[in-house]
Amino acid sequence: MATVQVSEAEKVYILHGIRDDLRVDGRGCEDYRHMEIETDVVSNTDGSAKVTLGHTAVLVGVKAEIGKPRPMIPNEGYLEFFVDCSANATPEFEGRGGEELGTNLSNVLYKVFSNKHSLDLHSLSISPGEHCWVLYVDVLLLQCDGNLYDAISIAIKAALFNTKIPRVNITSDDEGGKEIELSDDPYDCMRVNVENVPCIVTLCKVGHRHVVDATLQEKACSVASLIIAVTHNGTITCSRKVGGGSLDPESIFEMTETGKRVGKALHAPLMKLLQQEESLSKKRVRVGFLC
Amino acid sequence: MLKSKTFVKKTRSGGVMKVVREHYLRDDIWCGSETCTECKQDSPVLQKDVCVESNLCSYPHYLVPDTNVVLHQIDVLENPVIRNVIILQTVLQEVRHRSAPVHKRLKDIIHEKEKHFYTFTNEHHRETFIERQPGESANDRNDRAIRVAVKWYSKHLKTLESGPDGLKVVLLTNDLGNKQKAEENGMVAFKFEEYIKSLLANPELVDLLALSNDDKVTAFTDRNFIHILVLFPEHLPLSRIQVGIKSGSYLQGTFRASRDNYLEATVFVQGDGEDSTEVLIQGLQNLNRAVHQDVVAVQLLPRNQWLAPSSVVLQDDGVAKDDDVEEDEEEKLRLSAAEAARKPTGKVVGIIKRNWRPFCGMLNVSQIKESTRHLFTPADRRVPRIRIETRQASTLAGQRIMVAIDGWPKNSRYPNGHFVRSLGGAGEKETEQEVLLLEHDVPHQAFSQAVLSFLPKMPWAITPEDMAKREDLRHLTVCSVDPPGCTDIDDALHCRELENGNFEVGVHIADVSHFIRPGNALDKEAANRGTTVYLCGKRIDMVPELLSSNLCSLRSNVERLAFSCIWEINHKAEILKTRFTKSVINSKASLTYAEAQMRIDDTNKTDDITQSLRGLNKLAKILKRQRIENGALTLSSLEVRFHMDSETHDPIDLQTKELMETNSMVEEFMLLANISVAQKIYDEFSECALLRKHPAPPPSNYDVLIKAAKSKNVEIHVDSAKALADSLDGAKVESFSYFNTLLRILATRCMMQAVYFCSGMDSDFHHYGLASPIYTHFTSPIRRYSDIIVHRLLAVAIGADSTYPDLMDKHKQSALCNNLNYRHKMAQYAQRASVTFHTQLFFKSRGMLNEEGFVLFVRKNAIIVLIPKFGLEGTVFFDTKDKVSPSLVYDEEGPTLKVEQHTFHIFDRVKVTIGLDDSNIQHQKIRMALTEPSIPGVSVPAPEAEPPTKKQKLDR
Repeated sequence: MATVQVSEAEKVYILHGIRDDLRVDGRGCEDYRHMEIETDVVSNTDGSAKVTLGHTAVLVGVKAEIGKPRPMIPNEGYLEFFVDCSANATPEFEGRGGEELGTNLSNVLYKVFSNKHSLDLHSLSISPGEHCWVLYVDVLLLQCDGNLYDAISIAIKAALFNTKIPRVNITSDDEGGKEIELSDDPYDCMRVNVENVPCIVTLCKVGHRHVVDATLQEKACSVASLIIAVTHNGTITCSRKVGGGSLDPESIFEMTETGKRVGKALHAPLMKLLQQEESLSKKRVRVGFLC
Repeated sequence: MLKSKTFVKKTRSGGVMKVVREHYLRDDIWCGSETCTECKQDSPVLQKDVCVESNLCSYPHYLVPDTNVVLHQIDVLENPVIRNVIILQTVLQEVRHRSAPVHKRLKDIIHEKEKHFYTFTNEHHRETFIERQPGESANDRNDRAIRVAVKWYSKHLKTLESGPDGLKVVLLTNDLGNKQKAEENGMVAFKFEEYIKSLLANPELVDLLALSNDDKVTAFTDRNFIHILVLFPEHLPLSRIQVGIKSGSYLQGTFRASRDNYLEATVFVQGDGEDSTEVLIQGLQNLNRAVHQDVVAVQLLPRNQWLAPSSVVLQDDGVAKDDDVEEDEEEKLRLSAAEAARKPTGKVVGIIKRNWRPFCGMLNVSQIKESTRHLFTPADRRVPRIRIETRQASTLAGQRIMVAIDGWPKNSRYPNGHFVRSLGGAGEKETEQEVLLLEHDVPHQAFSQAVLSFLPKMPWAITPEDMAKREDLRHLTVCSVDPPGCTDIDDALHCRELENGNFEVGVHIADVSHFIRPGNALDKEAANRGTTVYLCGKRIDMVPELLSSNLCSLRSNVERLAFSCIWEINHKAEILKTRFTKSVINSKASLTYAEAQMRIDDTNKTDDITQSLRGLNKLAKILKRQRIENGALTLSSLEVRFHMDSETHDPIDLQTKELMETNSMVEEFMLLANISVAQKIYDEFSECALLRKHPAPPPSNYDVLIKAAKSKNVEIHVDSAKALADSLDGAKVESFSYFNTLLRILATRCMMQAVYFCSGMDSDFHHYGLASPIYTHFTSPIRRYSDIIVHRLLAVAIGADSTYPDLMDKHKQSALCNNLNYRHKMAQYAQRASVTFHTQLFFKSRGMLNEEGFVLFVRKNAIIVLIPKFGLEGTVFFDTKDKVSPSLVYDEEGPTLKVEQHTFHIFDRVKVTIGLDDSNIQHQKIRMALTEPSIPGVSVPAPEAEPPTKKQKLDR
């Protein structure tokens, strides 16, 4: 992943600052950088969102397709994740350079969503055992400036919120054959309930303390971080340690508590924002990205 | 400005796909009106002075019809009175989706300058584009788009300084909701009928109106009855039909009504490969409103209800029947059904696709004087009678008219339709010609502007670029040999001796594919027409005259582009070398067959042309001999030629065509060229070569021929084409010189139809009649579209032209072949019908004639007689309705027919009177009656030879 070189003196400066709850860019330890969210940015997807967090930029598109349900769970639909690390983000990703990171990121995403609480997969079923909706969630990294997990998870939540699945009817005839019929009204569509979709909070252990939304410099000072996926009511659906160093149980406990607190606080304003944008619908003036 | 249009569609594999299209809006779309000063348009279409006398709108106005009006009332819109109409893009697109023929007609109207129809691309106009709103159906959205455009027009035109009663736009819609909404928004909207009826100066337009749905019920059901009598079972909806077909409980097929019995029909069900079946349908209820050629779904009846086709002739005639089923007639059908020959029987449960076209026919004027509802009898007996509404019945009586079917409600005995146009008085030559063209589906309208726009600009000359790419063969002594009066000369020949003693023979074919480029309107039109149709005294061209009679025609002493096939041939007529090239030629002479023959025979002539002809003739004779040795058939059919009166164009004499040596000379080299080209294109494109095959007939086809020959103690072998050709050659009977010709005529009837096909779709290429393993058509591109395709293939093969995707697509090519085969068949029928009609005209002027003929076939109740002098065939019936029939004994073995004491054999020499039976003006026919041998009570006395009296009774 994109890394920066930090000198010893810089490290000491950053470490000391964090010890006093004061970060280089003026934030406190539990503060996020400035975040921008924009939904419905790619017209040929069923739902899309773009999130920028500091200089990190992520684009997420959701495509709904009709597929066959998994044999073990015939009455549920499923999600597929793919993370594409574009060479736009950093030259390191050129060629197959981003592949490993992409796989890592998508594995985490599978983990985050592989539980009953995150998303109601029953609603994606069309006819049990035969047809279901498969949501292909494609993540595109446009720029890397630290804290990819959080940005991606927020973008996914926004994109899922924005997803409009065309409504289909199953008509069965007397001969037992089933036919999928599409509604001919493009406005007639199904929405995904994203209330329980978790957000990922990455906590970076720097010195004896830990910070939320670490910049690349701060990351360079840290040996290990903890990823926690938190739903709006504080349920943790996934937690995972990344980075080379180790964490003692005590700090894991502390970091989990912080993650819960920060994560819970993240959901409410996010949902409010998304609903606000949705209500603008046609009147919304499109500016900037991909418009 | 950019908008995107998003819609979701189902993919073929059952998935769902979201499609996004970019949609650009512009502000430089003009209104098209002459009065407008704001719009920067070059040539406005809509006129400034619109004068239509309507008592609904006294002001000048433009019309805006909505989609349904265009779809149903296109006949009215085509009328020259209706001008200055704005066709919105929304409407045009919807029409295109819903009905391709109407769309084509609409496009043609728009192209016509005098009609002043303007297409306003409202979907791309910044101010009139609208997006579909939540909860709005596609139709509602389009209706709204139409209203928005009308609103825009009225506002746009109002701003112009055109006085107090300035131009307005009038929306024509039959949708009450739409009309109401438009009026609420301050627009002028009328129902189409209302508006047309208000045009006081043109009451004839009212007849052209098609009945809209809400009118039908009130117009055609008896108002005295409160509950509507339902005559027919309901048709199933398409979705149920599809399910039924999938599961096999219904069968899909083409409905073919019986020509002789209006209560009977068959449905031809195409199965996989060979197993196609025919399902019999009997009775009005089971026919269930299907019309000839419709694609229908049928349900088979249980086996114990299966019936046999009846042999009764039933015609739905007499005065208009009430809307109740005539049960006694149906009863008659049941009784006649024999126990043995039962066939699968079914009933029509639904219509998959209507194949209604406008039908030609005549009006049966209602007996009630004031009535505006009349029955129409189509010329085609397979089509039911149609009820129409007209006020001009008295003028239309005695005329051939065209009527279109609008619908067939389940409570009506007859389908409802409307009058389209009059073709002219019945029995008149022009009218009858039009009728036979329409009935045989021969496209014969004048070429549209779009088609003509692809013609080369005159004066045309060969450019140096053309010259550079082509071989210059202008120095060769090329000449053409054709029938007299031929203006579309598509082949020319040359022959010269080479230094090594061999001959160089060239066949030069008009290079039509140089002028007709793939995919343009001209090409599409030619592909659709498929062939030029030759009628007596009239030619329906496949390509515009400029090409057929001028630029492509290889006339003498002008430079023409050609596609040449050049062989080196030795004195034994063996081909040593073949090459193909695009060339430029200059024909030295256009000869007729007779002229060419005279030159060859005149030993004094030694000029180049004559030498060339002699060489060709010599080689042709060898080629022909070789071909016949290989088993090619020489068959015979009588072709008739009319001597036309130069002023009235009425036939004054008829004569069978005679063949000269030169005919076969040209034919021989054309065959050779066709075979050479076929081989070349097949070698090059084994998957997509367009070829022609002639399948060998099944042996049972020859039964008639063998039996007939046996009666004269002649044996015919039919094991192979060669055996057949040999035994036909050997079949001669003393003192009966015509016997051989008769046998050949019979043999011709046994043959199968030759067809075009795509080499990638078939494995059997053999041409039976020519005894050639491969064959195609190359030599007449002016009059056959197949030849144009072959030219293109050959041009690609020799690198003279580039290819295009459709040429290499075997499925597209196969579809094209189907159309060509259909057009050729129809053209043949039309040609025959034209000859028949002219024969009738001839006999009408001649009255009764007494001629000698031969019995060609023997039937159960009749003999079919051929009159060699006129090439005419006719039937002598022995049982007639109004008389006691004589005793008839039919022996199938002979076949012979014993009438009273006399036995008729095949090939018997008889004498008959020939006259015209015009008791049914729509179906005039030649009637023959026997004079010799005389059988009391059957034969008639011979008419006095001269002068023939016209008043002589036809029925004895």
